[in-house]
Amino acid sequence: MKIAVCVKHAVDETELKVDAGGNPQLKGAPAKMSTFDKNAVEEALRLKAAHQGEVVILTIGTTEAKKTMKEALAMGADRGVLVSSDPMAMDTLRTAQLLAAALKKGGPYDVVLCSEGSSDMYSGLVPPMVGEILGLPYVGYARKIEVSGQSAKVERALEDSVEVVEAPMPLVVSVVSEINEPRYPTLIQIMQAGKKPMEELSPEALLPGAGQSASLVRGMKAQAMARKRVVFEGPPEETAKKLVEALAAEGVLPR
Amino acid sequence: MSVKVWAFSESPSVANEVASSASTIARAAGGTFTVVGLDDSGPLLAGEEKVVLKADTRLSTSPEAAADVLARLAKEANPDVILVGSTRDGKEIASRIAVKLGRPCVSEVFGAALVGETLQGKRNVFAGKLVAEVVLPLPCVVAVKVGTTSALPASAGKAEEKVMGSVPSKTKLVEMREKQKGTVDLKGAKLIVAAGRGVKKKEDLAIVSELAAALEGAVGCSRPLSADMGWLPEEHHIGLTGVTVHPDLYIAVGISGQLQHVAGIKDSKVIAAVNTDKSAPMFEASDYGIVGDLYAVLPAMLREIKARRQ
Repeated sequence: MKIAVCVKHAVDETELKVDAGGNPQLKGAPAKMSTFDKNAVEEALRLKAAHQGEVVILTIGTTEAKKTMKEALAMGADRGVLVSSDPMAMDTLRTAQLLAAALKKGGPYDVVLCSEGSSDMYSGLVPPMVGEILGLPYVGYARKIEVSGQSAKVERALEDSVEVVEAPMPLVVSVVSEINEPRYPTLIQIMQAGKKPMEELSPEALLPGAGQSASLVRGMKAQAMARKRVVFEGPPEETAKKLVEALAAEGVLPR
Repeated sequence: MSVKVWAFSESPSVANEVASSASTIARAAGGTFTVVGLDDSGPLLAGEEKVVLKADTRLSTSPEAAADVLARLAKEANPDVILVGSTRDGKEIASRIAVKLGRPCVSEVFGAALVGETLQGKRNVFAGKLVAEVVLPLPCVVAVKVGTTSALPASAGKAEEKVMGSVPSKTKLVEMREKQKGTVDLKGAKLIVAAGRGVKKKEDLAIVSELAAALEGAVGCSRPLSADMGWLPEEHHIGLTGVTVHPDLYIAVGISGQLQHVAGIKDSKVIAAVNTDKSAPMFEASDYGIVGDLYAVLPAMLREIKARRQ
């Protein structure tokens, strides 16, 4: 079984600094593998363990993204494909077109795995777009995947229901974080990851003459979080009294 | 040129919200809006102009089929803006239409408006730490964030029916079960007490429920308690990947305050927190906080609340 996992090297939202004017300091901000992508890599490794085959990591990113690639390889993936371009300069449709082109070039893959959304932009649009562009069955928000023969049975976690869907392979699946607990690579795995093959592709070679992104992010600002941040410390009876009094004064307690 | 806006959702409850966004956008620009629905997903209520799509195949449970019929109709009618509810299935439908029609698409958008030949709106990024301003040229597809507008009231107008024939699907739905459902409606709750990892055992949730009951509020939780520990059904999970809430009072009990959790409570009027760790990020996102052990603080709060009633 040949499995591709689409991952993203994303600025770590917890480390992202914002200046006094509310402007994010994105340049040089610490970045990591997008949170839920680890679940997609883990699921690919589990499928490989059960059915043999190969796990290929695909990412669109700058040289920096090799860090995320190495992490996925250290987890146990076999090789990587890096499309050298800045994902932040692309809209969802262009991203999906580029990923689809790279999947076509390196394929056919039996299963293409993605996470439900990236931890930076959290659009959740690219995985279904990839499925649609490739003309493959797409199953979103998987919390369980069972493969037997040439088909997959997938449990989808929706807002109010759980659906069980069957689809023939090859297919594209996006996973939710409940699906598994991602493994931590060992020190030896981390050291060996650098020796695994990593291919670099140019976006122009994949999508000759493809247009620019149509939609764009014009600016990003910090959310105004005008909270009072009054903190009470002391014996529980005292602090509880102060809090209840403060909440009553705000008029938010039932009368 | 008068701008044409479509409002669609496969979910009837969300559809009226999307219709409300469409109405706001269209009215401000002097345009018109049409509510498009699926025959098998329930009755269409809002909007004067309505179209219901009928097919031989079930549409409401197949985003692939729904996108197919919508895109076919859009090719004929050519709306400038297609608004879709940003539910999990809705985002798939929006993505597929965007590819089929070659239109740009953005999800989880709120505050959308037409500005010249573009649609502009906002969306939360970086787990709600930042708000991004997005600009899309027309024609475009936009998935509207759920819970950001009030629903458009029902109107009597009759829907026009469009028969779309059969729609092939590459996937087969073999089973569907409603999620374990309690009686909790966090989206509409005025007061919520939410529990986090500071609660040590499932049985100890009782003290959280007791406080919620005394305050006539609902019980929520952070992600680990529903997804990892399974102590509460998923409908209690508040945060980026769970429910977004906007109560008058939100009390976070033993919740550290990860960005993903705070993203779901930003629109609360007043936020209070109880946590043993003074450096917990939850205090940054709160109006009032108590540094202390919830096992001592909650009973004390209960006594205080009861004393005030007498």
